[in-house]
Amino acid sequence: MSIKHVEMIATPSAPHYVGDGFRVHNFIPSYPRMDMKRMDPFIMLDYNSKFHFPPSERPRGVDVHPHRGFETVTIAYKGRVEHHDSSGGGGVIGEGDVQWMTAASGVLHKEFHESEWSKKGGEFQMVQLWVNLPAKHKMDPPKYQALENSKMTKVPLADGNSWVEVIAGAYQGHQGSASTFSPMHIYNVKMKAGAVADFTLPTNFNTALLVIEGSITINGTEKAQGDQMALFANSGENFSVLADQDAIVLILSGEPLNEPIAAHGPFVMNTREELIAAFTAFNEGKFGYLE
Amino acid sequence: MKHIHFTSFLTNNAEFEKNYIEKLVGQCAHKKFEKDAFLLREGEECKYVFFVEKGLLRQYYLDTAGKEHTIQFAPENWLISDRDALFFKQGAQYFIQAVEDAEVLYIEEDLILQLSRQDAAFHSYNNQLLHNHIRQLQKRIRLLLSATAEERYLDFTATYPDLLMRLPQTMVASYLGITPESLCRVRKGLAEKNQRRIT
Repeated sequence: MSIKHVEMIATPSAPHYVGDGFRVHNFIPSYPRMDMKRMDPFIMLDYNSKFHFPPSERPRGVDVHPHRGFETVTIAYKGRVEHHDSSGGGGVIGEGDVQWMTAASGVLHKEFHESEWSKKGGEFQMVQLWVNLPAKHKMDPPKYQALENSKMTKVPLADGNSWVEVIAGAYQGHQGSASTFSPMHIYNVKMKAGAVADFTLPTNFNTALLVIEGSITINGTEKAQGDQMALFANSGENFSVLADQDAIVLILSGEPLNEPIAAHGPFVMNTREELIAAFTAFNEGKFGYLE
Repeated sequence: MKHIHFTSFLTNNAEFEKNYIEKLVGQCAHKKFEKDAFLLREGEECKYVFFVEKGLLRQYYLDTAGKEHTIQFAPENWLISDRDALFFKQGAQYFIQAVEDAEVLYIEEDLILQLSRQDAAFHSYNNQLLHNHIRQLQKRIRLLLSATAEERYLDFTATYPDLLMRLPQTMVASYLGITPESLCRVRKGLAEKNQRRIT
């Protein structure tokens, strides 16, 4: 049994707004030692820590914008988000749900607080993660996977009251429902105080966890509190999480793609020429039109 | 390293020695602005050319009805100023405002004049920048006089490839000299014409 040690505990940096509906702390790629290469294939993680939005008749959010070359994964903990895209798709995600959008060759979309939720306001807490696509899949057709919490694979832990929700990949042989373009494991671990969860993840997979609620002890020694992110060293395979209080923990672990990255704004490609082509295609309306 | 864009702007565009560039950069003030802050207001004295290290500025004026007309945007690596106010000592006719949080290098007019007198290489480089600027202005006049809204829009996206995503549509429309509704129609028309399955 080789231990996967914690390399760093990251405390969230000052928040900024994405549009007017998402008050986020960026961890990937701006936090020291959490750049795109170190965290590959995870290229962006914005964390909207728990924040109270007052009621608003006009839903807050982010207006029409494009994406190409990667996937956006929105993981909702509190609040509801409504999204629409240029291919006519759309939907609402609520607490515990995950929306996995493969932008690939390109979509235009917009994301707002769901209108009824917005009228009442309330606690809002979400993660948006960008997962890079392998070069050979960057120009695939776009698609959505709506992962409803009620249909998610849940693996009980030994205490009987805690469980691991498998968003992608597998936990102890139990497969999650999202299909991915490269090997990765993403879990939401929902634990009662005193529960312990053990994880075995490949040495070379870039691995981190984010404490959404409560506080935990990793490997019996490292303490991490709510809103902190722990980055694991690329050595060893096994680590444990003990819930010091009732806790929710997001775990990310992915095999690096090890491909060149050319990124600017909402486009993540492999070369500068591909980036310029993405801007030109967007400016010329080739991503479609969305009011 | 501070002023990294300005240093590479000078390195990439002229054959200045490293020491010379460091000295020049060292004589410029570096200021930070929050979104919506003004660097220059109508009627004020203008003593600087602004170089954008980070963020986005715009230069606009208000007509007699109070409507905004955008003359120029300046994202990273662009220079912007009211040249009338700067070189001819008129009160500024334009506002220069931060559209995003910005970091800006202030290049003093006196420094530009002094270097132009002392240094033939700088003089020639500054002339080249002015000619480029005049070329852009001539093209803009031509497009405003006779091009279609779609042609003007496509020129805007070629000049500023990533600004469509950074600007509100009203500001893009005010640069193009069309209404926001017309801009919507242009973009919709292009999408209908150009949209295809991208596989």
